Amino acid sequence: MLVQNFKMALSAITSSKMRSFLTMLGIIIGVTALVVMVSLVNGATGAVTSEITALGNDMIVVSVMDDQGRPLRLAEVGDIKALEAVDQAAPLGSMSATAKHAYQDEVVTVNGTSAAYYDIQGLELADGRFIKSTDVDNSSYVAVLSNKAATELFDSADVVGETLTIGGRSFRIVGVLAEDDSLMSAMMSDMSVYVPFSVEASMADQPYVTAVYASAADPNGTDAAEEAVSGFLLQRFRQNEDAFSVINMSSITDAMSSVTGTLTLLLGGIAAISLLVGGVGIMNIMLVSVTERTKEIGIRKAIGAGRGSIMMQFLIEALMLSLFGCIFGLLLSWGILEIVTAIAGSISFSMSVSTMALAVGFSSAIGLIFGLYPADKAAKKHPIEALRYDG
Amino acid sequence: MQQQTPVIVMKEITKTYYVGGEEVKALDRATMSVDEGEFVSVIGPSGSGKSTLMNIIGCLDMADSGEYVLDGQDIRRYSEKQLARIRNRKIGFVFQNFNLLSKMTAEGNVELPLIYQGVSLGERKERVRLALERVGLADRSGHKPTELSGGQQQRVAVARALVTNPAILLADEPTGNLDSKTGADIMRLFHEIHGAGNTIVLITHDESIAGQAQRCIRIMDGRVEEAE
Repeated sequence: MLVQNFKMALSAITSSKMRSFLTMLGIIIGVTALVVMVSLVNGATGAVTSEITALGNDMIVVSVMDDQGRPLRLAEVGDIKALEAVDQAAPLGSMSATAKHAYQDEVVTVNGTSAAYYDIQGLELADGRFIKSTDVDNSSYVAVLSNKAATELFDSADVVGETLTIGGRSFRIVGVLAEDDSLMSAMMSDMSVYVPFSVEASMADQPYVTAVYASAADPNGTDAAEEAVSGFLLQRFRQNEDAFSVINMSSITDAMSSVTGTLTLLLGGIAAISLLVGGVGIMNIMLVSVTERTKEIGIRKAIGAGRGSIMMQFLIEALMLSLFGCIFGLLLSWGILEIVTAIAGSISFSMSVSTMALAVGFSSAIGLIFGLYPADKAAKKHPIEALRYDG
Repeated sequence: MQQQTPVIVMKEITKTYYVGGEEVKALDRATMSVDEGEFVSVIGPSGSGKSTLMNIIGCLDMADSGEYVLDGQDIRRYSEKQLARIRNRKIGFVFQNFNLLSKMTAEGNVELPLIYQGVSLGERKERVRLALERVGLADRSGHKPTELSGGQQQRVAVARALVTNPAILLADEPTGNLDSKTGADIMRLFHEIHGAGNTIVLITHDESIAGQAQRCIRIMDGRVEEAE
């Protein structure tokens, strides 16, 4: 019986193709809006999240804001590193200085740090080596250049062994970082030079540590590491919470995902409204169809179709209309997303299975809900009056 | 003729309509019976209540009062679902204006009551073929009603009525929309069907058609009387 109902619905839909298509159009547009919007937000979120993760998702940044006369010393960075939840810790002191080579000069950010910084930040070398702990201990005048700084100053990235002057002091270049093509570095101009912390400290006349970068021992244990570092610093600064701040990078990811979650919900909600409007279109046409087919309903009832059979017939027709619309909508969305991906280049947008399931589920629900009233109207027609109907 | 069990027994059937606040007795204590294998005609002018009688015999409507037993089943206070089931299994309708579904082929139309019975596909095809053969339209099974002549359409309707092996074949002016020659053909078909043992109730206002039945029941102002 159910199979027959599907056959009947199919023949009813295909017998007036133009009308069926126009009826489906509302659902097609609704599904396309829903799927494309949700997929776009998901794709963008994925891209940004992976950028943040690349920045160091398990990273904790400590800033000392008010040392109350008891500043943090370099040796105490080792105490932070010794905490159980912390894997590595590196100090960071930053200043601006003019770097010179031959007749070229550029303003660069001088980052004074230690060897651990390389791993914590997930940096990559193109050539040479990074700062070593012996460099920090000996206050060696060695520098590691970012790829951009090297090409700006030397017109080449192949500069290991060359010398340059920074803030009037001469440095030997021991390494050049790999080119960073991430979104973040594109946004910030990356003219940086890495030198041993002790060297930067003497240049900036700031012998104490004001910022510490640390990584968690367990990639999922960033919160625990944050807690451990906070606890350590609270004790160090005599329970003064205003002395320092601890930023957990994973909390930024969390905040991001909550923002994009809200965005998905909002855009999906707007798209869902257009699906709802499509449902009203289906109800409209089904009501017309029921009236047009009053005679058919009468004949079917006379030869033995009960209310249930008639109800089922029209309900399945509404359901199929909306599901066909959903399929067309999904195909259209797929095409649009392919085009957007081709245009966007770096970000790939695709339909997730859950988005498709959402679209199919929502369309079926709409088809059933808005088909219910017309189907009920058809089922309740009195056979004698329906048979007499001249339409 | 041997002693037959009655297929239709009606006792004191009354049906009242209210038209514009006025009471119209479409059937007034109508009493009649039809035996198995009988060919009975019901004749009456328009407005005599024969349509109402047909609707009640055909279980399209229920009487206000009285007793109606169809094929041993007392039709009383039945739900719409039960009435639909009885129409499906016990009654084969043939209408004046054929009432075929125009979007379906002859085969599809004849198949429909079997679909509602839940008969399996293989059996359906076989029974549809037999029914169309019986009315002489086996070669037209793939045609839609619009591609068939009036007489052929009515034959399809007869095949649809017969395919379920109903207790009675209920025909409402089956020749009303046909020319006299085609009408005569259809009447010949009815005689054939009757000859094969089917019970037929034929409703008409045409004396010459009614006269062809074994027995003629007259209806006038909602009252039923046997015409001998």
